[in-house]
Amino acid sequence: MNQAESILSLRDVEKTFAGHCAVDGVSLDVARGEVVAVIGPSGSGKSTMLRCINLLEVPDRGTITVDGTDLDTSGTVSARDLTQLRRRVGMVFQSFNLFPHMTVLRNISLPQERVLGRSRDEADRRSMELLERVGLQQKADAYPAKCSGGQQQRVAIARALALDPEIMLFDEPTSALDPELGLEVLAVMRQLADTGMTMIVVTHEIHFAATVADRLIVMADGRILEQGPPQQVLDDPQHARTRTFLSAIKDR
Amino acid sequence: MKSAIFSDWAEWLPRLLDGLWVSVQVTGLSLIIGLAAGLLLALAAFARTRLLTWPAILLVEIGRGMPALVMLQLVYFGLPSVGLTLETYAAVVLALSLTTAAYTSEIIRAGLRAVPDGELEAADALGMSRGDVMRFVVIPQGLRIALPTLLGFAILIFQISSLAFSLGLPELLSQAYSIGAATFRYLDVLTLAGLLYLAVTIPAGWLVARFERRLSRHLTT
Ligand SMILES: Nc1ncnc2c1ncn2[C@@H]1O[C@H](COP(=O)(O)OP(=O)(O)OP(=O)(O)O)[C@@H](O)[C@H]1O
Ligand SMILES: [Mg+2]
Repeated sequence: MNQAESILSLRDVEKTFAGHCAVDGVSLDVARGEVVAVIGPSGSGKSTMLRCINLLEVPDRGTITVDGTDLDTSGTVSARDLTQLRRRVGMVFQSFNLFPHMTVLRNISLPQERVLGRSRDEADRRSMELLERVGLQQKADAYPAKCSGGQQQRVAIARALALDPEIMLFDEPTSALDPELGLEVLAVMRQLADTGMTMIVVTHEIHFAATVADRLIVMADGRILEQGPPQQVLDDPQHARTRTFLSAIKDR
Repeated sequence: MKSAIFSDWAEWLPRLLDGLWVSVQVTGLSLIIGLAAGLLLALAAFARTRLLTWPAILLVEIGRGMPALVMLQLVYFGLPSVGLTLETYAAVVLALSLTTAAYTSEIIRAGLRAVPDGELEAADALGMSRGDVMRFVVIPQGLRIALPTLLGFAILIFQISSLAFSLGLPELLSQAYSIGAATFRYLDVLTLAGLLYLAVTIPAGWLVARFERRLSRHLTT
């Protein structure tokens, strides 16, 4: 892939925890509008790689480039660069992580006010727009505890989208959900992909990966084991480890 | 005989109520000062500000380790030797504030720590500043978690304020003692004083319990 058209690049990103290499020299280019699905066994470094992208984990080595802005992570990253980066990269977690003491609407509006400096009205208008998009406008005044897991995750997606990110990271967004609630979240993600959002999705949902993603990446031991068009990787995996892993998740 | 006790009680009551008012005042002031200091200490500890951590830990350990009675005596009799002489009232408030700060900083710190890490990460990932994360996410929830324990402690410090009688502060227990000394009816007057303490602490305890139930409404799934 041509680097000029990639919106996100990782170069030799490495992250070690107490002598254990969680991400071991990963390089990756993601094109604008591309949807990348990431699969791999537990402990293979999927989450850590994702968290390195928005610097929730600061890599020990390597560079991260978002839309032409380089972040050399071996030095210290200034607070300004960090905020810039995080405005452009939204993240959705397995455990939703809504703020339980705020209503759904406040959850989505507060970051807009504090990070983008939007007025309360402006922020609320944008929040309602997004709630409508994820099908939850009727939940605006509810507290998260009064929402199902699937609804909470859709609110979390709206909260991230409200900052108008260019890239969205998803870390197993449906793993904590019952299958039918997972489906409503996947539907929202599918819709988001259709609007041209650049997405990196760590998931065990093979069907979603096969039908929505442009590329499937298989990770093992902190490295990218193989990657390619989802159908190709799924139908004709090049590595024995990929085959073992795929049959393990298909058998579930 | 019974009616004699009650007429004595009626006679003593105004003085005891004056004493109760002093107890409530020193408790209230100590709580305001001590909680503010406790919150600052808790935030310093939570933020792991190195400059502040060490003195903060020292203060907390001394404040919690030292019996309140010793703290009162040290402030009242000890500070003059370093050139600071305080009125009884001020000495009591200072000593109880120190004890309050030490205990409540630990209570608040535990509350702040109980806010799930995932929420802090989400706030970080949204690009919120450290200050905003504290202000909008950690402090409101941490205080809410700490509140029942803090209110319980407030009741305790009200009881502890009776130790100020040892410095001669005219609070409830001192008033009861001096009435006792004048009438030799220690048991009767102490019973009445005890009832007055209970008249504050028991309803306060109920209120705390109700409050606790109300607060946990949004937070349970
Ligand atoms: N904060 C941390 N401290 C220490 N070790 C960590 C930390 N985070 C991750 N690790 C280790 O790094 C390795 C990769 O973890 P990571 O969470 O990235 O894997 P994963 O592929 O997301 O796994 P899963 O499918 O279970 O979520 C694991 O061995 C894990 O134990
Ligand atoms: Mg993970």
